[in-house]
Amino acid sequence: MRLSRLASRAPAPVFGAIGPGWQVAVERLLARSGLRRALTPRDAGILLVAGDMPGDAAEALGRVHDQLPHPRATLRWTVSHETADAVADRIVASWRDLGAIDEADLLPDQPPNEWKGVGPHGQGGKGMMGGTPYGRPMAMTGEDIRDGLQLDRYTARIGPFAPMLPPGLVLEVTLQGDVIVAATVQHPPFAQPVDADAPELCAARMLTILGLDGPARRAIHGRRPGGIWVRGAVPRGLGGIEGAGDARDRLAAFLGGDRAAVTAPDLSELLPGLEWSEAMLVMASLPPSAILRAARLPEAA
Amino acid sequence: MQTLIILLGWTVLAWLLVRATQPPADATAPQSAPFLGGGTTGTHAWQRYHFRPYTMTLVFIAFEMEMMFMYPWAVVFVSEGIKALAEMGMFLAILSVGILYGWREGVFRWE
Amino acid sequence: MTALLALAVLGTLALGAVFAVAMDGRIAQLAAGFARQRIETEAPDRLNRDLAAVWYLALAAAGLSVVPFAPGLALIDSPVGIVIWGTCEALTIITVFLHGWSSNAPFPLIGAYRYVAIGLPVMLPSMFVLIAAALPAESLSLPAIVESQRGMWNVIRQPLGLPLFAIVVLTLTLRGPMDFADAADIATGTSAEESGAARGLWEIARAAMLVSASALAATLFLGGPLGPVLPGPVWLWIKTAALMAIFAWLGRRVARTTPSRMLTILWIVLLPLSFLHLAMAGVFAL
Repeated sequence: MRLSRLASRAPAPVFGAIGPGWQVAVERLLARSGLRRALTPRDAGILLVAGDMPGDAAEALGRVHDQLPHPRATLRWTVSHETADAVADRIVASWRDLGAIDEADLLPDQPPNEWKGVGPHGQGGKGMMGGTPYGRPMAMTGEDIRDGLQLDRYTARIGPFAPMLPPGLVLEVTLQGDVIVAATVQHPPFAQPVDADAPELCAARMLTILGLDGPARRAIHGRRPGGIWVRGAVPRGLGGIEGAGDARDRLAAFLGGDRAAVTAPDLSELLPGLEWSEAMLVMASLPPSAILRAARLPEAA
Repeated sequence: MQTLIILLGWTVLAWLLVRATQPPADATAPQSAPFLGGGTTGTHAWQRYHFRPYTMTLVFIAFEMEMMFMYPWAVVFVSEGIKALAEMGMFLAILSVGILYGWREGVFRWE
Repeated sequence: MTALLALAVLGTLALGAVFAVAMDGRIAQLAAGFARQRIETEAPDRLNRDLAAVWYLALAAAGLSVVPFAPGLALIDSPVGIVIWGTCEALTIITVFLHGWSSNAPFPLIGAYRYVAIGLPVMLPSMFVLIAAALPAESLSLPAIVESQRGMWNVIRQPLGLPLFAIVVLTLTLRGPMDFADAADIATGTSAEESGAARGLWEIARAAMLVSASALAATLFLGGPLGPVLPGPVWLWIKTAALMAIFAWLGRRVARTTPSRMLTILWIVLLPLSFLHLAMAGVFAL
C-alpha cells in the first residue's frame, strides 16, 4: 500500500506521438516537472496523441500504442484552446488512476509472419540461412560501404513516432552494424509551425542526443542549459553543410540564441555512411523546416 | 575455497532476488514487436553484426596480455627499484609504437 | 566474523543503491515501474535476459566483497583482491552485452555492441590505475593498499588516478558521458525493450554497481576505512557516498560524444595518460 502511494507520486511517463503542427506544444509540455518524456513506449504509461493524425499514420500509431505495457492510457490533445496546464493535469490524473483505465490492443493478436520451417524453433528450411525461425527470416549479407566486408544488412522502416527523428518522418534505413548504408524517405515529416525552429528547442534536441536531459529541459524553459564539454562533444566536421557550418557550429549558434538558416542536402544523400549516433546528431542539428525540405520522397528526388 | 563459496553465494542470492521480483514476461503479438517508432522490419535483429572496431580488439588483446605481466611486476616493483621502472618503461614504449602505428592505420575508429 | 562482513556488504549495497536512486530523483519512478507489465519481445533469449540482471547484481556484490570495511578486514581477504575486482569489471561488459542481445531487437543490439567497443578499451586505464595503486603497497591485496595510505592518501600522490577511475566507474554503471549502452539516440538502447519490473531491476543493478565501484575508488584513493575518531566502516560509507555523489553529478553534467570518437579518445588520450600515471606513481613509490 505504501509502495503504491509512493508510485503514484512518480512523474507521469509519457510517450508523445506528435501530429502535424504540434511539435512545439508537446516538447514544451513534456519538459514540465510532474511529466517525464519516455524515449520508448516500454517505459511509458501514457500515450499522448497530439494533433489530428493523418490516416496513413493510424497503423503506426496502433503499433506504438500496443507496445506500451499494461496498464496504459491514451490521451488526445487536438484542440489548441486546451491549455498545456489543462493537458498536464489530465495526464497526471490518468496516471494516478491508470489501473482503472487500462486499454486493450488496437491491432489484432496475430504474429507478423506466418510460421514456417521444419524444426521446433522454425529452423531447417531451405537456403543458407535455414528457413524462417519464429516466423521471421534472418538478414542477408551485402557489401559494406566502409570496408567492403560481406556482412548482414538489416533493413527497417523507422518512424513516424521515433523519438530521435522528427515526428512524421518514416525512414527506410539499411544498417550494417550501426552504420547506415542506405536511407530512403518513405513519408516526409509533418509540417510544423515556424517556432519549431526556435534555437532553444533545437538546442534541446541536440542536448538530448548528447545525454544531457537536465540541460535539455532547462534550455526548453529558456534558461542557461549548463553542462560540461557540450560543444566539444560534437565531432568537428560532422554534418558539414556548405554555408551552415558543421553540427558543432550549429549547436553553438542554437546555444547562442541564433536561428540557423540551413539548406540541407537530401536525406538519402546526407545519412548514408554515418554511424547511427552520428546520423541522429546531424538530424538533431537541423531545424525541422530544413529537414522537411531535405526529406523528399524517392520519386520526387 | 571460501572465496568461491562467497562468489557462488552472491550469484544465488542475486538469482533469488530476480526470481522474487520479476513477474513472468508475457505479451500479445503486436505488443512484442520490436520498437521502431511505429515502423516495421522484415527480419530478425540478430545477425552477423558488423562490429566496426574489430581491428581494435586485436590490439586490445596485446594490452591485456601485458596486464598479466604487470600484476607480478607491481608486487616486486619497490624491491627491484629503478631497474623495474626502466624495464616496464621499455615495454610500454614498444607498445606505444604499436598504438601510433594502429592510429595511423585507423584501427581506433569505426571501420 | 565472515557472516557479519557478508551482512555489511549486503547492507551497504542495499542502502547505497537506495541512495543512488534517490540522488537521481527516481525512487517513486522505480516503485511505479514494478507495478507494470513485463513485456516479452519476439523470440527473445530468455535465459540470458534473466541472467543479465543476476550477473550484474552478483558482480556488484562480488566487487564490494574485496573492499575492506575496517583496516585488514575484508569479506574476501585475498592476496589478489584487485585481480578479482578487475575480473568483475571485465564480466560487467559481457553482462551489459547480454542485456542488449537478449531481446532480439535492433536498438538494444546496437547499444550492446557499442558498449563492448567502448567497454574494452576502458579496461586498460582501469588496470593501470589498479596496478599503480598496488605499487606503494607492494601487494595486490586491498587491505595492504589501505595500509599503504596511512601516511598519505593515493589521491594526493597519484593525482591522475581518481579522474581516470571516474571514467571507469561511469562506464561500469552506464552513466552520462560513458553511457553508450542506453543512449537516447537508440531509444535507451539495451533497455529499449524492457518494461515494468525488468526495467526497474536493471536500474537497481546499475545503482548497486555504482555503490561497489565507488567503494573501491574510496579504498584505492581515499584510504578506505582509515580516519580519526569514527570507526572504519563509517569512514568507508562517508567516502563512498561522497564519491557516488560526484560520479552521479558528472553523469548528469558531462556530454556524451559519439562512440567512434570516444574510442579514439580512449586509445590516443586516456591510454597514454594512464602510462604517465603509472610512471608518476612508480617514481613516487621509489
